[in-house]
Amino acid sequence: MWLERLQNIDRRVIYVVLFVALLIPMLKPIGIPLTVNPTTQQVYDLIESLDPETDIVMIGMDYSAAGSADVHPQAVAVAKHLANRGIKSIMVAFVEDGPMLAERVLKSLGDRVVYGEDIVNLGYLAGGESAVKKFIEQPATTFTRDHRGTPVANLPIMKNIKDINDITLIMDFQTGAPGYQEYLRQLPPGGPLYGVGIVTVSVPNVMPYLNSGQFAGLLPGLRGGAEYEVLLGEPGEGLARMDAQSLGHLVIIAFIVVGNVAYFASQRKEKKAKG
Amino acid sequence: MKRSVPVLIVFLVGVLVLATYFIESPGLKQVGSMLNNWGVIITAFAVGLACVNIIRIHAAHIANQRTGWINSAVLLITMFLFIIVGIYSRNNPSNEGAAELFSNLFNYAYSPFSATMYAMIAFYVASASYRAFRMRSVEATLLLAAAILVMLGNAPIAEQLWNQFPVIGSWLLTVINTTGQRGIAIGVAIGGFATSLRILLGFDRGHLGIGD
Amino acid sequence: MIQGTYFVLGTFIVLGVITIGMLLATRSGKVTPKIRRIPALDSIEEAVGRATEMGRPVHFSPGYGEITTSTAPQTFASLDVLGYVVALTARYNTQLIVTCKSPQSFPMIQELVRESYSAAGKPDMFQEDTVRFISEAQFAWAAGVLGIFNREKVAANIMVGYFMAESLLFAEGGAQVGAIQVAGTGNLAQTAFFVAACDYTLIGEELYAGGAYLSQDTSKVGNLAGQDIVKLLTIAFIILGTILATAGSTWLVELSKM
Repeated sequence: MWLERLQNIDRRVIYVVLFVALLIPMLKPIGIPLTVNPTTQQVYDLIESLDPETDIVMIGMDYSAAGSADVHPQAVAVAKHLANRGIKSIMVAFVEDGPMLAERVLKSLGDRVVYGEDIVNLGYLAGGESAVKKFIEQPATTFTRDHRGTPVANLPIMKNIKDINDITLIMDFQTGAPGYQEYLRQLPPGGPLYGVGIVTVSVPNVMPYLNSGQFAGLLPGLRGGAEYEVLLGEPGEGLARMDAQSLGHLVIIAFIVVGNVAYFASQRKEKKAKG
Repeated sequence: MKRSVPVLIVFLVGVLVLATYFIESPGLKQVGSMLNNWGVIITAFAVGLACVNIIRIHAAHIANQRTGWINSAVLLITMFLFIIVGIYSRNNPSNEGAAELFSNLFNYAYSPFSATMYAMIAFYVASASYRAFRMRSVEATLLLAAAILVMLGNAPIAEQLWNQFPVIGSWLLTVINTTGQRGIAIGVAIGGFATSLRILLGFDRGHLGIGD
Repeated sequence: MIQGTYFVLGTFIVLGVITIGMLLATRSGKVTPKIRRIPALDSIEEAVGRATEMGRPVHFSPGYGEITTSTAPQTFASLDVLGYVVALTARYNTQLIVTCKSPQSFPMIQELVRESYSAAGKPDMFQEDTVRFISEAQFAWAAGVLGIFNREKVAANIMVGYFMAESLLFAEGGAQVGAIQVAGTGNLAQTAFFVAACDYTLIGEELYAGGAYLSQDTSKVGNLAGQDIVKLLTIAFIILGTILATAGSTWLVELSKM
């Protein structure tokens, strides 16, 4: 009977145990050490190699509010790194939630940047891949006003951008579409480097693009954001959530193991009963 | 006629937009850009049409007091609230109160609800994997082993137990997973290409309805 | 011509000639390709039959349903399957609920379902809420569909098209109400969730075989055969490239950049 029960644990029990396992480290962090993966290091080194005098970065704010728990820490960490190094950046969104999330990133930067000179939130452009294509073809004129209503012509940072080749690196944080496929199709050969910060579930999908060199860098999900915070020396939301992620993984593995042990034990019992 | 004209339009527009990828021509680029913009405008009208459908269905629920009509009322009220506040604040950027209200609606209502739905996936992953990952066959065992190793590779706590877990997890992702993904991705891309070509050339008209 | 597009154009022409050539050859009867059994597609009738026996509705989702993005082929492939499902529900007099996320495809899907019911001689089966637009926001759509699963107690859940993170929500939500589930998507990250949580899954390009398999339309079957020939050519290209790269030659790489 116990074996039967262990093979058919009520899903509500699973949810409660998982919820408790996620909640405890959020309330009382454990501080599990985190090593940095080569993929995250690659992005960090890429931004370290940029020249604050000449290089401009486009930050693609293409993630939704739903996936922001996974991707927002990456965006904040990279934006802080760019700000610390004095590298100018423009934030563009092809997803409706993007501009509001960009404002959150700007808030986290505080006094590190002067809006309009060091960084700007251009806002949202509707149209999916058509919008990506339009911006890549005409980055200087696609937006007439930024998200805050300021005419683009009055923004000092935009004076340095005439075409897409004036942008050195596109660091695109995304949860879906438009995403890396749309960008890769529209970016011209020899154009800006393209790096991606993506949700954990999509990481297996995008590994071929990293291996082939189409991505200049990849930040994988919440862990990527946490690792970047370690490299930056500024712990934030990413690191705070990694303990919960660790315990969550262990709980899921534990339930799978329990289910399989019970399954094998019941199979053995049946075989013995049959003789 | 009812189906021939749309097929002809699809063909002409498709060829024009495709041509902009291959041929360097300012005129062609302008036409392509115009067609792109028309697509965006059509989408906007489609959103309006879809809103009408929502209003009709849920207004009927409320009028007929069907089970759960309160949910329909909440939906319609929330929809109009977001539309009105959003359009007003966009067209009156100097009105800080409106901007703050919209920001609060996004940050304290829409965003947490969206994140909650996304977070449910974590719980559903737990129950689905508990149910599905049973060693009923060799293939199922391999699937189970790969899943556990990748999960352990991602969890910092596992690194503390054995420092090779991340190496194994990374190898599974970059070697085994990537080769499989590439193969299926190529197949899906070819399928997409063939389907698109069939529709562009008018060989497939099922989406235009039945009959002439 | 724009630099760097010669190879792409050449590939486009060659692959196009092959797929359309096979389509025309099959239509004229010169070749008669056969499609292997696809259990997931065979199970659709079983799913609708089960819903009929239980007196509960069938739910169909065409996924994101976009028709202007790169996921449009998956949407059109799902409409082929939808036409088949409508015909089945008309035959068995089973209620069908189609939920839409995309406002662009919503009128097209509505019209397709209406005309399919008319063609089956059951125009009255099409009601105003047979095809429902839920929301363009991903998780609002997911919440709406889960609500329908629980309130309407669907007995069969068919999800064919482009899906993203909501795939597991739908699959697990359908499992919780005891629905038999058939799913298929070209989004590889979500295929794993469907395999884990659904009864039958279409993997990769089996999604595109749906229309040809269910209708046995010669154009679609021929087009499918053309795809397979293109795949063989791709394999040959990969093998050639591997051999050349191992021998230290970059000729093929340079050719592909032309």
